[in-house]
Amino acid sequence: MKLVIIGKGGQGVIFFSRMIAQVASMKGFLVRSTEIKGMAKKGGTVEIQMKIGEGLSGVVRRGSADLVILLSEDLMDYAKTFGDKVFTFTSEEIEKALSSVPMRYVNTFLLGIFVKKTALFSCDDFLKIFDNQNKESFKKGYEYVQSSTRNSSKRRN
Amino acid sequence: MSKLYLSGNEAIAYGLIHAGVRFITGYPGTPSSEIIPTAQKIIKDQEIKAYVDWAINEKVAYEVAYGACLANIKSAVTMKQVGLNVAMDPFMNSAYVGTVAGFVVISVDDPGPHSSQTEQDSRFMAMTAKIPILDPSTVEEAFEFSKKAIQLSEKYGIPVMLRSTTRISHGRALVEVDDQIIKQELNPYFKTSKEWTKQLSRFAATPKQRLELHKILNRKIGEITKENIPRLFFNGNILILSSGAVFSYLYELIEEHSLQDKVTLAKFDMPYPLSRDTLMSLTLPQNTTLSVIPRDSMSREISQNKEKILNINKTFSRIVSIEETYPVIELQLNTEGRRNGIVPKEGELLPEVCEEILENLKLIKKRKIFTIPPLKRPSLCPGCGHRIALYEVKKVFGKKAIYAGDIGCYTLALNFNVTDIVLNMGASVSLGFAFSKTFELGNKNQDIVSIIGDSTFFHTGIPPLIDAVHYQVPFLLIILDNQTVAMTGNQKTLSTSKNFLGECLKPIVIEDIVRSIGINFLEVTDPYDYEKSLTIIKEAKKFLKERKEPAVVIFRHLCINTQEGLKSNPKKSVKISEELCKGCKFCINEFECPAIVFDEGTSKAMIDKTLCISCGCCIYICPTKAINLI
Repeated sequence: MKLVIIGKGGQGVIFFSRMIAQVASMKGFLVRSTEIKGMAKKGGTVEIQMKIGEGLSGVVRRGSADLVILLSEDLMDYAKTFGDKVFTFTSEEIEKALSSVPMRYVNTFLLGIFVKKTALFSCDDFLKIFDNQNKESFKKGYEYVQSSTRNSSKRRN
Repeated sequence: MSKLYLSGNEAIAYGLIHAGVRFITGYPGTPSSEIIPTAQKIIKDQEIKAYVDWAINEKVAYEVAYGACLANIKSAVTMKQVGLNVAMDPFMNSAYVGTVAGFVVISVDDPGPHSSQTEQDSRFMAMTAKIPILDPSTVEEAFEFSKKAIQLSEKYGIPVMLRSTTRISHGRALVEVDDQIIKQELNPYFKTSKEWTKQLSRFAATPKQRLELHKILNRKIGEITKENIPRLFFNGNILILSSGAVFSYLYELIEEHSLQDKVTLAKFDMPYPLSRDTLMSLTLPQNTTLSVIPRDSMSREISQNKEKILNINKTFSRIVSIEETYPVIELQLNTEGRRNGIVPKEGELLPEVCEEILENLKLIKKRKIFTIPPLKRPSLCPGCGHRIALYEVKKVFGKKAIYAGDIGCYTLALNFNVTDIVLNMGASVSLGFAFSKTFELGNKNQDIVSIIGDSTFFHTGIPPLIDAVHYQVPFLLIILDNQTVAMTGNQKTLSTSKNFLGECLKPIVIEDIVRSIGINFLEVTDPYDYEKSLTIIKEAKKFLKERKEPAVVIFRHLCINTQEGLKSNPKKSVKISEELCKGCKFCINEFECPAIVFDEGTSKAMIDKTLCISCGCCIYICPTKAINLI
């Protein structure tokens, strides 16, 4: 699987990618990645390319990514050069994350949403690798999707 | 054994320590900076006796590490590719003199370039010096080749270059490392001149003996060339020669496009030294192993070629070198490649560019071309002391002054017009000298301001300042002192009082150096103190008009990208008044703080609360006084 994760410095993009890498390698997959951080630290573009269970390099060719995870909506055009399938968070989800957990756990909250919505990885595997606070935040994100989909299905009914 | 998800740089550090290297120096530079901190962590955690720390610049780093190998301790030096330029003097000569214990030169190239002033090829420099090069294609190989480099160096008594690139050094993969590192007794020993013969005193050779040393070097290179055999993959009649990260991309593309019967891919672990003879009579070893390549694909390639002696002229219709970034293999073996336009002459050879090359070779059909939208340019961090400091300098010296910048975060001041030229480390001071002298020769008045960071000043900024004092050349030197090498990831500077083990160091005081040179105008200010800073800069300007000699102002404010700096930073929340903001964009264009954004809808500036660190610096800048403290 070829993944690209794009966001901005300070959003915890690198942490986000390392957690995915750790879970994938725990499952026995070879993981390779490459990190591009711009000169600017806060607010600069951060891009992680990752291959799980394939290839010799972590570099993902433009147009070939199976999934792009985008943490910063304004980089959508850039994200699409890697692949058509882009996973992004709604502004409600980001607001919910900001209001539910302290700033430094926002990325694990979002990771919870990602894992629930895509079902690419198992929730239990992530719970194994987190410390308590990250676990809490991850669970909140994961459960938020369940509750919001329940609500929306209710509305539909 | 444990499997760690290591970056290439971390893998290199593990490889070196595993190989018995106990002396590592270097100077920070993206993408090489993480090797030394990782090695420090390993020796600290495992209580290994070793010296691992930063040097003032790459030349000193090289000489110190090389000296250690001459005193029989395995050693290594790390730097980025342009850092090697600074170390060229000892680099060239160390090849002649040779080594005693193993010695590895790690130079990390930045094809692209992503964060460098050139995309030069360290392999080319090593070829000039006649130093063998190992060029890893994967993160795992970065680990393996660090150990291999020491073995090769010890076998032939020659410095060995480990050349990495951004994609390897900042790539990550699972690397298997030993949990325990063998602790050896260190046995320093140095052969003094009394112990050498009159015919050859290797360490203090006369020019006549240098010729002899050159002969010895050529002999070593000849022997290494003979054992430098490429590994072959796939089975087609176009032979592609490669090394480094690009090999991995080509391997992946050949599999993806099913070109296994059209292309033979040769991998040079060592892209120098090579000879046409080795290529002319390639014998495939029976059990080539490449740990990074899955077994099943390996056996397929090897079984078909087993023990076959190749006559390359008969076997292959074309021989093409595809390598980053200069034609090192191509020139040595005289193949196709860059020189006949098959391979682009500049830029990173990313997988999409490798596809383009395969298209040039008519191996694949037209691919989809992607236009990449421009990304927002990088800016100084919100609250950075450099921003307000350079805004203050601009306020006094205006837009007509020439601003000679340097290498560091503050190069980004070019975004708000306080940097007109950036050449290389330390050059801001030399350029201040140059411009001041030339305008004087032409009888023209010209204000000149040089801007340099603390670490860059230590690195190579001091010698040109001594010249400027000696020759009485007037210009203002701004030293931005944030007590850290910020741009490369906050490594320590010489102003630090403790090393990574908590041992005492003597902090070097910039003022003491500046005064001792004979600078007669020296002031120190915190740029957050707006009024005081403006007064000092005005005094400096006056001094330069009256006296024909350089002046120095030090702006001292901790980097807010460090925990300590952020914690001690003043907290002053600001707001922008909608009534007072006229939408002139002065703050956006002339201050450029990422936390001040412009709302095109309302035509007003706004504070982005998620980025603002409440430094309060922007209250001084608004022409209509719309930015105020809350």
